[in-house]
Amino acid sequence: LNAAPGRAPRQRVRFLPAPAPGGGGAVELVAARVPVLADHPLVRGPRFRKLKIGAGHRLDVKASGVFVLGIGHGNKLLTDLYNCHLTKVYTVGGLFGKATDDFSDTGNLVEKTTFDHVTREKLERILAVIQGTNQKALLMYSNIDMKTQEAYELAVKGLIRPMGKSPPIITAVRCLQFGLPEFQLEIHCLHETQQYLRKMVHEIGLELKSSAVCTQVRRIRDGVFTVDDALPRTQWNLQSIQEAIRNCQLKVETELEKILG
Amino acid sequence: QDGGGLREAMAGVARRLLRRDLGVAAGPPSTRQLREAEEAAPIFQYAGKAARRKDRVFVWGFSYSGALGVPSFVRPDAGWKKPRRIQPTPYRLETEEKISSAACGYGFTLLASNTRDITKVWGMGLNKDSQLGFQRSRRDQTKGYEYVLEPSPIPLPLEKPQQTRVMQVSCGRAHSLVLTDSEGVFTMGNNSYGQCGRKVVENEIYSGSHLIHQLKEFDSRVVQVVCGQDHSLFRTKKGTVYACGWGADGQTGLGHYNITSVPTKLHGDIDGVNIIQVSSYGDCCLAVSDEGDVFGWGNSEYLQLASVTETTQVNVPRHLPFKIGKIKEAACGGTGNVVLTEEGNVFVWGYGILGKGPNLIETAVPEMIPPSLFGWSDFSPDIRVAHVRCGLSQFAALTNRGELFVWGKNLRGCLGTGRMEDQYFPWRVTVPGEVVDVACGVDHMVSMVRSFT
Repeated sequence: LNAAPGRAPRQRVRFLPAPAPGGGGAVELVAARVPVLADHPLVRGPRFRKLKIGAGHRLDVKASGVFVLGIGHGNKLLTDLYNCHLTKVYTVGGLFGKATDDFSDTGNLVEKTTFDHVTREKLERILAVIQGTNQKALLMYSNIDMKTQEAYELAVKGLIRPMGKSPPIITAVRCLQFGLPEFQLEIHCLHETQQYLRKMVHEIGLELKSSAVCTQVRRIRDGVFTVDDALPRTQWNLQSIQEAIRNCQLKVETELEKILG
Repeated sequence: QDGGGLREAMAGVARRLLRRDLGVAAGPPSTRQLREAEEAAPIFQYAGKAARRKDRVFVWGFSYSGALGVPSFVRPDAGWKKPRRIQPTPYRLETEEKISSAACGYGFTLLASNTRDITKVWGMGLNKDSQLGFQRSRRDQTKGYEYVLEPSPIPLPLEKPQQTRVMQVSCGRAHSLVLTDSEGVFTMGNNSYGQCGRKVVENEIYSGSHLIHQLKEFDSRVVQVVCGQDHSLFRTKKGTVYACGWGADGQTGLGHYNITSVPTKLHGDIDGVNIIQVSSYGDCCLAVSDEGDVFGWGNSEYLQLASVTETTQVNVPRHLPFKIGKIKEAACGGTGNVVLTEEGNVFVWGYGILGKGPNLIETAVPEMIPPSLFGWSDFSPDIRVAHVRCGLSQFAALTNRGELFVWGKNLRGCLGTGRMEDQYFPWRVTVPGEVVDVACGVDHMVSMVRSFT
């Protein structure tokens, strides 16, 4: 970053003594634009010594996916994005037949069960119930008085969401793949942690009278940032980062304007 | 310090013993050992491949009348239990048989099973007019119970008790109807307006009465029975509708405002029309034909029939010309009505809390409730409302995913939402299972639910 051409030094108007036209020893003051010495790179030193980088929503060690970082001014935008309470989308992979103590497949085994009675239909029924109860939680934690016309209108449009602290809420679940013993779900949620998603996989297993562990948690969308915008490990260099920031700037601004006004 | 040292020494001894005895290396188990332990672990089976989904009954609402069928709510049987006046969330009711039909009246409930066993119908709640038949009291063998706190069998005078099946039950304010497949309709309870289909006897004492009347004279087999507040409607296989009972609001639809004590055929706009569903709970009645038209008669003080007439009582069935699509099902409440169209949209009209927010109090023309309130969204676009039901001032809708949505006046916790406030737009009731059917009463509701797995 420091190697890039820096800002041009500031100019200042100074009255400098210059030999007057017409000879003699008389000195005249002439106005001239002169670069300010304080801006000289040798005086000032390198432009960037530290960079302030902030992280968006947490992603724990066993999970993968989109992770939002803010640089410099972006940190302030991060707090604004946090206050927007946008949903995040995860793909969660699960495996029937085992139950472990930390709900993932690398934990200590607690129990093994049969799972041949599990069908896609039963799984979808459970997912529908999860969505329904979380829908209720969404309405309850949004702190709107249910008796007002405003609450009714927001509920019709589906715009009610908690704008403050709330327990994890799942706004939508869908089964992407189902092949015994494994299955994959797409989960849209708010205010969650990855361990909560693993616990949910475990609870789905219990509800189906079997047991399940979570094999994979991958965030595919965090608010406005999707997997397409995200930079993989091979592209962690200055040019790609700058390009990515430029591409996302407009999206972030429009979203913030829409929600926070 | 000493205690810790002792424990370590003991652990060290144990480890050395293990090493000596079993020859196994001590320390954290290796991956191979973990894997072997995992494979050797026993597998538990909680449900086999042929596991059936169970059918259950859930009740909620006001319990002191005994209508919920849980005696410990009214008379606690253990010292620590307190009487529960209102059950605000669904509570499971244990039944002996699978209940196929349920009906809620004004403070009492009837449950029926379509089994061939001797006991087919159970009743609980108010029995001051013998609407639950004669329930012999154990303390005094000559008298009957006035409040039945537990589902008690109702003895029906069947000719072939081990062959006849009960198809449906219905309850009104103080009378009830039981529909069988081959022996007609049995009526019991209050008959002061002829709603039981028999001649009104002056000064008849209904409490502790053994009389259950049987009705068989219809043009074809009766396939649906509906009780209004003090009148009864019968729908036959041929699509005709019969009525008897109180008619001061024209709810019998027979062209006059008098009492009818014998089921009489209705004419008017439904003459010659094949009616596939009838509904009533208060003093207004709706009928749906096979072509998707809806007909109404009865009380119209709350603008239920204001789309065709200004009068507040209509005593002849009139066609309601609504342009909302082909109608599949209709339900009538005390002051509001709801219909379900073929596309799965729900329309409400009438007076009261109609389900479109606190601003819509009354309308004479049906207004649609947006499907997004029932869970429809871009993410799940195939959610449809499958059935609609009405209580006296509440509405209930069942979706095709088995979810129950309720709205209306929350009288003594009858909505089942867990809160005591009125609900101005459809709200999901959390039931641990897929709701198959629901019956709404004045201050309580009964639902038939299938478990998930």
